[in-house]
Amino acid sequence: MQISQTSKKTIDACRFCWMCRHICPIGNATGQERNTSRARALGLSMVEREMEALGKIIDNMYECSLCGACTKECMTGWDPTQFTTEVKLEAALEGCLPEYVLRMVENVEKTGNAYGKTALDEGLKQEIASLPENASTLLYLGTDARYQAPEQARRAIQLLKKAGVEFTVLADEPGSGYDLYFLVGGAEETRQRMKQTAEILNRFETVVVYDPNDAKMFLRPYKEWEIGLTATIQTFTSYVAGLLETGKLTVSKSEKTYTFQDPAALARDLEETQSARKILAACGNLKEMLLHGKHTNLAGNLLMREYLSQVMDLVAKNRWRDAEGVGATCVVTASPSEYVCLKETQPEGMELCSLEEILL
Amino acid sequence: MNQFLFSMILTELEDAVGQENCSTREIDKLTHSVDYFWLSRLYADRGVRMPEADYVVSPKNAQEVSAVLKIANYYKIPVTTWGGGGGTQGGAIPVCGGIVLDTKRMNQIYQVNTESMYIECGTGAIYRHIEDAANEKGYATMHYPSSLTCSTVGGFLAHRGIGVVSTKYGKIDDMVLQMEVVLPNGDIIETSPSPKHAAGPDLNQIFIGSEGTLGIMTKAQMRIYNQPEERRFRGFLFKNMTDAFRAGKEILQKFKPSVMRLYDQAETGSIIKKIVGVEKDGAFMNIALEGISEIVAIEERILLETFARYGAEDLGSEYGEKWWKEKITFFYPGHALDLPWMFGTMDTIAPFDKIEKIYWEMKKAIESNFPMARFIAHFSHWYEWGCMIYDRFIVEEPPQDPMEALRLHNQIWNCGVRAALANGGVVNDHHGVGIKLGRLMKEQYGPAMQVFEGLKKTLDPNNILNPFKMGL
Repeated sequence: MQISQTSKKTIDACRFCWMCRHICPIGNATGQERNTSRARALGLSMVEREMEALGKIIDNMYECSLCGACTKECMTGWDPTQFTTEVKLEAALEGCLPEYVLRMVENVEKTGNAYGKTALDEGLKQEIASLPENASTLLYLGTDARYQAPEQARRAIQLLKKAGVEFTVLADEPGSGYDLYFLVGGAEETRQRMKQTAEILNRFETVVVYDPNDAKMFLRPYKEWEIGLTATIQTFTSYVAGLLETGKLTVSKSEKTYTFQDPAALARDLEETQSARKILAACGNLKEMLLHGKHTNLAGNLLMREYLSQVMDLVAKNRWRDAEGVGATCVVTASPSEYVCLKETQPEGMELCSLEEILL
Repeated sequence: MNQFLFSMILTELEDAVGQENCSTREIDKLTHSVDYFWLSRLYADRGVRMPEADYVVSPKNAQEVSAVLKIANYYKIPVTTWGGGGGTQGGAIPVCGGIVLDTKRMNQIYQVNTESMYIECGTGAIYRHIEDAANEKGYATMHYPSSLTCSTVGGFLAHRGIGVVSTKYGKIDDMVLQMEVVLPNGDIIETSPSPKHAAGPDLNQIFIGSEGTLGIMTKAQMRIYNQPEERRFRGFLFKNMTDAFRAGKEILQKFKPSVMRLYDQAETGSIIKKIVGVEKDGAFMNIALEGISEIVAIEERILLETFARYGAEDLGSEYGEKWWKEKITFFYPGHALDLPWMFGTMDTIAPFDKIEKIYWEMKKAIESNFPMARFIAHFSHWYEWGCMIYDRFIVEEPPQDPMEALRLHNQIWNCGVRAALANGGVVNDHHGVGIKLGRLMKEQYGPAMQVFEGLKKTLDPNNILNPFKMGL
């Protein structure tokens, strides 16, 4: 396989090690042995030894959410998400991508989003149209929010309006490359898309990024691959926490207790765990789940929901159980992906909010 | 089996557990063919496929397990139970093909019963998850093996596993109240509502340690304990192991430490030096005392006074605390024994009057018959009457050819275990028997083996459950 030496070493290290099994949100949801870093590594090690065909096991790579829980857990520092991502590109080059992946890639090419959506929600469209065309600050919503969670996207806009921020949202927003990176790794097409997006974002001084998955793209791969993104990138949560700190946004504290669902991209990749907590502390009380902060457990992934909807339901249900286990009553998200997946599986008696819902 | 019959059975199994929980996918068959058994890893490393299942099923509960076993009995198909796959004895490898029954969907935590201090759960639950459930309520399971994060409740029960605080809290077989078991014919039974009784032999202990050969455990009530107010560590260096055994035995007549680990000179000078940082020569012993602070303080005073009489150098708490922090690090890639080395843990157990002789005889047997092998050991689970040896052999340059490696591997194991048996030891202490040591069971038990064989014949007349494991 044409993958990095680091990935090859990681495959050989992980193929007989199960130490991160307990932390994998997919494996915990499905109970399937194949949903472990060890299973993916073992399969690929057999491909490397020409005892297995990549095309026969490639599906297994798409059962991983790349949430990085295994990487965080590994005391030796191996990163199974790296080989999982690199092998997707190898499969693309070998022409053995699964049909559902090809369909989503084609969607990105045709419509700009993996879901194949061609029109925005009418309410969101009007909300965007109400904003000035020119501003130095851009609120970047991302395809998940625009096409799968438009209500949340509208609230994000309304919140910044409430704080008096002068900003705009692009009617025709380019993709961050998150979807292509997830589907085919660091392919040339992914890089080209990132470059085009960077050119557009560079017209702004500050880009406030609503979806942590997009923020992770802008703050990590864009830099690592020297894409040339010069605008200042800020996560939505840290930006809103700043608005509260500077008094541009005010809230009245209630007796309500909130439990924050840390998005993996935010807590692990960007090491941002306190902004949302500061916001919630200003609004009420905080009750933590056992696995929180950088130890967070995934609550859903919308790209995977396109081809593993039942598994995503199980993942979200497990996270609800985590919340119920500590007596939480209101779970708060900062990720459109997780909001949608949790909403679909919301148990009776439990409340789900996005940060902006609480602040509005 | 012809393709038509294969497909017919497939649809029956799908009917039993749901189509999405019955797989013939390459990845499922492959990942259930390699467990933590060194030989299976070697074969995979050399690019040789291990025996694989024809079907992998993941039932949700005892009723679905029952349905699978009824199908398997009718068609006389072998069924190998797979929990986490972390076993070292090849117990979970489907050596005869057939069905692998993966228990991990039976992971429900039914109740955390703080009134009677147990957790009732499916046996497919990862032990770390039931520890989390106990911790959420302020309690602990006190079962902390290195595989805590990757192994299931059923896996630990199947081979009579043990954790690092066993000296105070016991082995897994001491931690079970009641179980639900599916017999090979599909009948679902419950063991006695209480583990201590005079209503005949203990049914729990017939299935615990039976490695999936007599039935499939599907639900268990596992004990939980108060979190200790305090856990104090103390490291010691003994001049020789004889003094350490005597000191350890004396302490155990007075009270039970939680952690009690004695390392031979070879392991003190290698692994302990590398991970914990002990640079001195001798036999390192790590002790942890825990519970109510006032009692811990008294125990520590008695410990220091007792060990001083046996000439132990008090190394303070630093090394013990470091060991506790790093106790799982030992088992991550890069720290654990790994390929290309050949290695094995020949753990055995015996009363104090035999244990030291067993250690020296096993060491002599391995080192004299296999000069290419290193022998290291520690003694990590202690009782008032004896303790176990966690002794390991290491061959740094095993044969490249898988068959040659298999032959050498088995010769070393035969030699080591027979040395243990000849001097009053047992085939294994807490890793089980599996396919690795099945041939040696009759050598330990002699005519007593017919008790196991009789149970097997009665409960599983078609021999569908985990054939050739445990010598059955």
